[in-house]
Amino acid sequence: LNAAPERAPRQRVRFLPSPAPGGGGAVELVAASVPVLADHPLVRGPRFRKLKIGAGHRLDVKASGVFVLGIGHGNKLLGDLYNCHLTKVYTVGGLFGKATDDFSDTGNLIEKTTFDHITREKLERILAVIQGTNQKALLMYSNIDMKTQEAYELAVKGLIRPMGKSPPIITAIRCLQFALPEFQLEIHCLHETQQYLRKVVHEIGLELKSSAVCTQVRRTRDGVFTVDDALPRTQWNLQSIQEAMRNCQLKVETELEKTLA
Amino acid sequence: RGFCVSAGPPSTRQLREAEEAAPVFQYAGKAARRKDRVFVWGFSYSGALGIPSFVKPDAGWKKPRRIQPTPYRLETEDKISSAACGYGFTLLASNTRDITKVWGMGLNKDSQLGFQRSRRDQTKGYEYVLEPSPIPLPLEKPQQTRVLQVSCGRAHSLVLTDSEGVFTMGNNSYGQCGRKVVEDEIYSGSHVIHQLKEFDSKVVQVVCGQDHSLFRTKKGSVYACGWGADGQTGLGHYNITSVPTKLHGDIAGVNIIQVSSYGDCCLAVSDEGDVFGWGNSEYLQLASVTETTQVNVPRHLPFKIGKVKEAACGGTGNIVLTEEGNVFVWGYGILGKGPNLTETAEPEMIPPSLFGWSDFSPDTRVARVRCGLSQFAALTNRGELFVWGKNLRGCLGTGRMEDQYFPWRVTVPGEVVDVACGVDHMVSMVRSFT
Repeated sequence: LNAAPERAPRQRVRFLPSPAPGGGGAVELVAASVPVLADHPLVRGPRFRKLKIGAGHRLDVKASGVFVLGIGHGNKLLGDLYNCHLTKVYTVGGLFGKATDDFSDTGNLIEKTTFDHITREKLERILAVIQGTNQKALLMYSNIDMKTQEAYELAVKGLIRPMGKSPPIITAIRCLQFALPEFQLEIHCLHETQQYLRKVVHEIGLELKSSAVCTQVRRTRDGVFTVDDALPRTQWNLQSIQEAMRNCQLKVETELEKTLA
Repeated sequence: RGFCVSAGPPSTRQLREAEEAAPVFQYAGKAARRKDRVFVWGFSYSGALGIPSFVKPDAGWKKPRRIQPTPYRLETEDKISSAACGYGFTLLASNTRDITKVWGMGLNKDSQLGFQRSRRDQTKGYEYVLEPSPIPLPLEKPQQTRVLQVSCGRAHSLVLTDSEGVFTMGNNSYGQCGRKVVEDEIYSGSHVIHQLKEFDSKVVQVVCGQDHSLFRTKKGSVYACGWGADGQTGLGHYNITSVPTKLHGDIAGVNIIQVSSYGDCCLAVSDEGDVFGWGNSEYLQLASVTETTQVNVPRHLPFKIGKVKEAACGGTGNIVLTEEGNVFVWGYGILGKGPNLTETAEPEMIPPSLFGWSDFSPDTRVARVRCGLSQFAALTNRGELFVWGKNLRGCLGTGRMEDQYFPWRVTVPGEVVDVACGVDHMVSMVRSFT
């Protein structure tokens, strides 16, 4: 980063003495725009000595996916993005037949159950109910007075969401793949932790009169940042990072303006 | 010294072996069926919820519960196929061939639940029935007839059977039970259950208004009896009718597929999707065709909203469901479009996004609509129940006591199949998820 071409040094107008055209020892002041010595690289040293990097929404050790980082002045934008309360999308993989103590497949086994009575239709019914109850929670925690006309207008457009602290809320959930004993869900949620999503998988198993553990939690979207914008491990170099930042800048600005306006 | 092995953290192989050796539990076999349940909520002191411990606690720690704000499970022995809520009482009917087919609970001051013999005094009957009690019907073939549907009005109830006509009981001071009005008749503790069989074809639907009754036959004609001062009998006059008489007017010759009423206004839907209305129009229910406040002849309501599939009438507001799955409301009161819309004569559509429709689930649509006195209920094809309207004594089931100005989901632990709305309570028939 420090080897990249630096920005041009600041120029300042200074009155420099220069020999007068008349000759002799007379000195005249001539205005000239000269670079400021304080900006000289040998005086100032390398531009960046440390970088402040802040992290966006947490992603725990067993999960994977999009992780938003802010560099330098971007940390302030991180704070604004958090206050926007945008939804995150996860792809959660589950396995029927086992129940463990930490709800994932690497934990201590508690119980094994049968699962051949489970069908895709039953799973979708349970998911519809989860979505319904969370929709209710969305309206309740948004702290809008339900008796106003504007609450009705927002509810019609689907724009009601909690703008403050709230327990984890799932705004949408659907089944992507279903092949006993495995299944995959796509979950859109707010204010959640990955352990909560694993708990949701466990509870779906319980509701279907069996048990389930979570095998995979992958965040595919965090607000405006999708998997396409994110850099995989092979691309963790300066050029790709700068290109990615440039691509996302416009999206972030429009989203912030829209929500915080 | 070689005899014992020290135990350390279990290796991966040991863990895997332990896991494979663990017993497998079975909670639901291949033949596990979804169970049918009944959930009730609302005002409980009249006994209409059917849970006696709410009114008279049977354990020391229980306190009397005046209002049940969220759905509460009602244990029944048989599968309930049809339920109806009246003004402070409920009727549950099952499709079985057993001798007891109909249970009733709630107010019984006009014998709307039949004669419930009191255990303390064998000559008198109960005035409040707190538990679902069987209603003895005078059937000719009790082990073959099936009860198709029940319906409740203010103080009378109708039971529709498949082969023995319609049984009516309760208050008959306006002829709503279909028999001649007896002056100074005492309805409390009365054993009278009247049977009605003389219709042009088999009766397929019975509907109770506040003090009148409507019968729809297989041929598509509608009969009415009862109070007519608001024209709700639709017979062309404002007098009492004590014998079911056929309706004419705009529905003469039209094949009606559904009738609905709860207060003093009535709506009928034909097989071509047209809506006909008659009765009270003080709340602009029929104002699209006439300025008069009482209409005593069925009139066609020319709405351009598409083919209508189902209609429901409340006390002051009406709701229809079209074939595309759109819901339209009109009338007076909390109609479901926010606090600003309190009355309209033309139907207004409620946006489907309020019923759970979104880009994520575009095939969620409303499948049924029901009406209470000042509440509306809509069931979606995903089995979710949405309610809105005046929350009288907690009847909406949302858990809050405030009125609800737009459709709100009721959390019921199951897929809601049908719901019956009353004045201050509701009953729903639910199938469990798995």
